[in-house]
Amino acid sequence: MIKKSKLLSAVAIATASFIAAPSYADTMNTPDISAMSVMNGLENPWDMAFTNDGDMFVTEKCKGLSVKTSSGSVHALAGMKDSKGYASTFNDLFCSGQAGMMGVALDPNFNKNRRIYVASTSNKYHGSGCKTNFEKCDGNIIMRMEVSKDMKSVSNRVDIVKDIQYKPFESDHPFGGPGAHNGNRLRFGPEGYLWATTGDRHRGVVPQSPKLLGGNVLRIDTDGKAHPGNKPPRGFDKRMYTYGHRNVQGIDFRPSDGRAFTAEHGPWQNDEITALVNGGNGGWDPRPNVGGRGDCPDKYCGYMPNQKEGMLPAKRAQFMPMSDTRFSDLMPPAWNNNGLSQGTGSAAFLKGKNWGYWEGRMAVGIMGIGFGGTPSGMRIDVVDIAKDGQSIKSVIHMPTGLTKRFRGLRLGPDNALYAAVDEGEIYKITATAK
Amino acid sequence: MKGLNLGIVGLCLLFSNPALSGDINAGEARYAQNCGNCHGPAGMGLASYPKLKGKEIPYLIDRLNTYRAGTKIGPNSDLMIMMAQPLSDVEIANLAAYLNAQK
Repeated sequence: MIKKSKLLSAVAIATASFIAAPSYADTMNTPDISAMSVMNGLENPWDMAFTNDGDMFVTEKCKGLSVKTSSGSVHALAGMKDSKGYASTFNDLFCSGQAGMMGVALDPNFNKNRRIYVASTSNKYHGSGCKTNFEKCDGNIIMRMEVSKDMKSVSNRVDIVKDIQYKPFESDHPFGGPGAHNGNRLRFGPEGYLWATTGDRHRGVVPQSPKLLGGNVLRIDTDGKAHPGNKPPRGFDKRMYTYGHRNVQGIDFRPSDGRAFTAEHGPWQNDEITALVNGGNGGWDPRPNVGGRGDCPDKYCGYMPNQKEGMLPAKRAQFMPMSDTRFSDLMPPAWNNNGLSQGTGSAAFLKGKNWGYWEGRMAVGIMGIGFGGTPSGMRIDVVDIAKDGQSIKSVIHMPTGLTKRFRGLRLGPDNALYAAVDEGEIYKITATAK
Repeated sequence: MKGLNLGIVGLCLLFSNPALSGDINAGEARYAQNCGNCHGPAGMGLASYPKLKGKEIPYLIDRLNTYRAGTKIGPNSDLMIMMAQPLSDVEIANLAAYLNAQK
C-alpha cells in the first residue's frame, strides 16, 4: 500500500513537473505583443512611410502630409486646400467622403534623391469630364515631390499619374457619397517599381475597362510610365499589372519570394486576400445586365440584390460575386472573410526574428463595419498564406489589446508594425519572440 | 398668475418625460452596441462618418426619427435607416442625450 502510495506520489510529482516544464509557447515561439501610441490628435491618419533612420511620414486624409522625425519633431509639409500651417499648400487637393490624401511611399533611393510619392484626390485634371457619375472623371493622382534635407518642406511637385478615376457625385447606394472607392495605397515592390492600387469608384463599367484606371493594381516607374514587363490583356492600358478589382487598399510583397498580395474591401458579403498574377483579373464586374443580372441602381450592381438590409452572404455572393469564376483569367483569392465584409483595407508582411513563428506572415488591418448583422471587425489578423498563394493555413487575431478602426499598416525599419487608426492615432506594435 | 402656474406644470411634465429628457448612461450603453463602429468613440466622427458629439438634442432626435421612418437624408441613408428602425422613442431620446453631452 505504501509502495502504491509512493508510486502515486511519484506519478503526481512527475505530472506536476511535466506541467511546469518548458511551456508550449516556448516551443511555438509565439511573440509577446505590446502596443503603444506614438502619435495622437491626428485627423483621419491614412498611411505612413519610413526612412531607414526612423523618420515617419504621415498622411491625414483631409489635411495633408507631415513627418515626425526620428528626433521627435513634427513638420507639416504639404497641405491640401484650406489646410493651415503647412510649408506648402496645394489648392487642387481636396477631400470628400472616402477620398482625400491617402497613400505615401518613399523612393528606394530616398537618401540620395529625397523623393516621396503621394496619392491624393485632385480637381486639377477634371477637364471636360466629371460632369456626371457616368463619365470619365480623372480625379485621383499620384504626385512625386522632393523633401528638403532638414525635413521641413517639399518642392518640385510632379504629377506622375493624372487619370485615376474618381466619383464626383452622390449615388443611390449604401456608402453612396462622392469620393467612394479610390484605392490609393502606394508601395514600392522589391524590383524598385511603384505599385499603386485603385478602386472601382462606384461605376459599373470601370473594373473590367481596358482604358479607365480604376479597380486595378498599377505597376509604374517613378515617372509614371508602365513597367515594361506588365502583361495586361491586349488593348489594355499598359500601366495595369492587374485589373477587375473592387477597391484594393492593402498591398505588400511576401519577403520569401517577392510576390505581391492584396487585401481588399468586399461588397458586403466578403473581403479577400489575393496573390497577384501579372495581367490577372480580380473578377469584380459590377456592370448591370451582365453575369445574369438586370438593371441596378445608378448602373452599379455592387450592393445588389438587396441594398436595404442584411441577407444571407452566400445569396449575395451568388448574385454579385467578388471573384466571378466566369473569367478565365481570374485570380482566385487565397482567403475570404468567411462571408463578411468588415473593411479589410491594409496589409504588411511581418519581417524579423522578433515576430517568432509569425515571421513571414501577413498582418491585415480590418476597420469594422457593423451593420446588417455583420459583427464589427476592428482588429489585425495574422494570416499564414500557403506557398502557392492559393489558400491560407491559418488566421490568428493579433492580441494588440486595441479595438480600433485599423486604416493603415506599415512595417517600420525597426521591424515593429505601425498602425494608423481612424480614431486619430498611430500605434507602434512591438513583437518580442521568446 | 394662473397661466404661469400652468406653464410651470407643463415644463415639469415635459422634463419628466423620459422620452424627451433622455438618460445619458442608457444612451451610452446603446451607442456602444452599434453606433461607435462608424461614428467612433463618443461620437467623434470617423472616416466619412459624421461627428455627432455635442449636436443639439432636437436635431439628433429629428434625424433618428427621420431615418426610422425610412426617409433618406444624405448618402449613407440606407445604412442609417437599417440602424434606426429597431430604436424605440426612449432609446432615441437616450442616444440624443448622450451624444449632446459629449464635448
